[in-house]
Amino acid sequence: MADKDAGAAVPAAVSAGDDDGPQVEGVPEPTYEWMGLSNEWGVRVKPGEHGLRLGDLNVGIYGEVPEEWNDHTRRPRGALPRPGIPPLPYNLRRKHEMWADCAADLYEEAIQRRWIPATEVPWGSLEPLPEEVERAICQICTEFCQYANTELEIITYWQGQMSYGYFEVKQFLATATFDCARHIEAFRKRALANGGGLGIEQRGSVNRMILESRGGWTESVTYLYLLRGTYTMALYRMLLNAAHNDAERFIFSHCIEDHARHLTYGYDHLKYAVTHHVGQDRILQTLLAIGESIMGTELKEGTMGSAMAVLLGGGIEGGRTIGMETYLHGVGDFVRDYLALGEWIGVPREENLNPMLKKYLVY
Amino acid sequence: MARFPSEAWFKEVQEVYNSDSSLHTGGGGACETTAAFKVGDECYRIVFEGHQCLEIRSASEAELASPETDFIIEMAPELWKAMVENIQEHGAAHDDQTLNSIDLRQDDSIAYSPEDDQARQDLFYRFNQNFQDFFDASSRVETTFD
Repeated sequence: MADKDAGAAVPAAVSAGDDDGPQVEGVPEPTYEWMGLSNEWGVRVKPGEHGLRLGDLNVGIYGEVPEEWNDHTRRPRGALPRPGIPPLPYNLRRKHEMWADCAADLYEEAIQRRWIPATEVPWGSLEPLPEEVERAICQICTEFCQYANTELEIITYWQGQMSYGYFEVKQFLATATFDCARHIEAFRKRALANGGGLGIEQRGSVNRMILESRGGWTESVTYLYLLRGTYTMALYRMLLNAAHNDAERFIFSHCIEDHARHLTYGYDHLKYAVTHHVGQDRILQTLLAIGESIMGTELKEGTMGSAMAVLLGGGIEGGRTIGMETYLHGVGDFVRDYLALGEWIGVPREENLNPMLKKYLVY
Repeated sequence: MARFPSEAWFKEVQEVYNSDSSLHTGGGGACETTAAFKVGDECYRIVFEGHQCLEIRSASEAELASPETDFIIEMAPELWKAMVENIQEHGAAHDDQTLNSIDLRQDDSIAYSPEDDQARQDLFYRFNQNFQDFFDASSRVETTFD
């Protein structure tokens, strides 16, 4: 038995040979009124061929995903509500405001496919590059850090407002924020690991547009994933194609895979919102008309284009010719993908596409 | 010596891929998908589970179009041949012969979902390096062409 005087909060040891059974001293008598309080008891979910996945748990009442979740508390979906819990500001409480059917699967995928920049990127493969090229990749990494911290900040801004009725989405977005943190880490390390350093901060009008999209998470997704995200994917793919060493190949190939998960969620959510909320397609048309203009201006005036051209052209000289041509072709691919995605989501933009984006279709 | 494209060739690649865990690192983790390759008129169905290629076999066009197929990679035979030759020469896809770089050069993506399901078409990007690793394993398969 423990010495009672040693501190009342410390549980006493159990006497193994006690005839009355295990006893604990120094703590209050347990209460049992919570036992037996369950909406559904006796659930026994079995692991499937891919293990016990989040989506597998959607059985019985636990699988009922309501169109509207009016509970303002942190109650897990399926648990019994407790009267008297003060409400919290969960302002996103309707399914169409955040849902994507793929969220649970994407969560599992993100958990399984995480990577470690510190030890898995073959940093030893970095070799000195021509200074113009090193400056270009460092400038690109600087701007990618800003892309990723914008994504991280806007997700976390909304995440706290998403109700627990749609926990699959909250769980997936938690992995997306960690992916963003990992990208910031990897890009910062690449910029500081090969004789260069960070470049100049991007002006960031698209970042600001994303961060100031306060009309709802769907609005943020429109700017973050459909517009900026689709462009970012085009950049990552060009950079993987032009990687100078295994370290860059590793970073960009893994960033593509992470980012593709984010886009899958984003596109799927927008399609869900358009399909399940009357008038959402027209709202997105209006948002995209505004967003295309800001995106077009940034493409024209931003530093990313010239940095990409120098990198793809192997220097300033090549950046004026083949480098810029390659970059512009990549931007053309972005606009074509954007139009195809708009069509698939149910928000066709071809007829009203802003001329500042339309001009890239010739490449 | 196996001929590309043929079921025998793909099965040899599968054996190399499954037997060497160093070929599973590029993708960054488990890969769960059922996909397909179209080489001209020839069709192949591939199933990945975890870090293994569970199945690769000839398939019919109708099978490829079934809802089971997440996405199809389709290229002209000469593009497939150039990619495989490049892998044979360099030990892994080099320069402009990776799946990513070939896709970047085409007007239409080489990967598509037969169901027009964007989430499943995106698997081409989400698992891109697993597929690249699989094809890179073919560098260890003695190959002939038609």
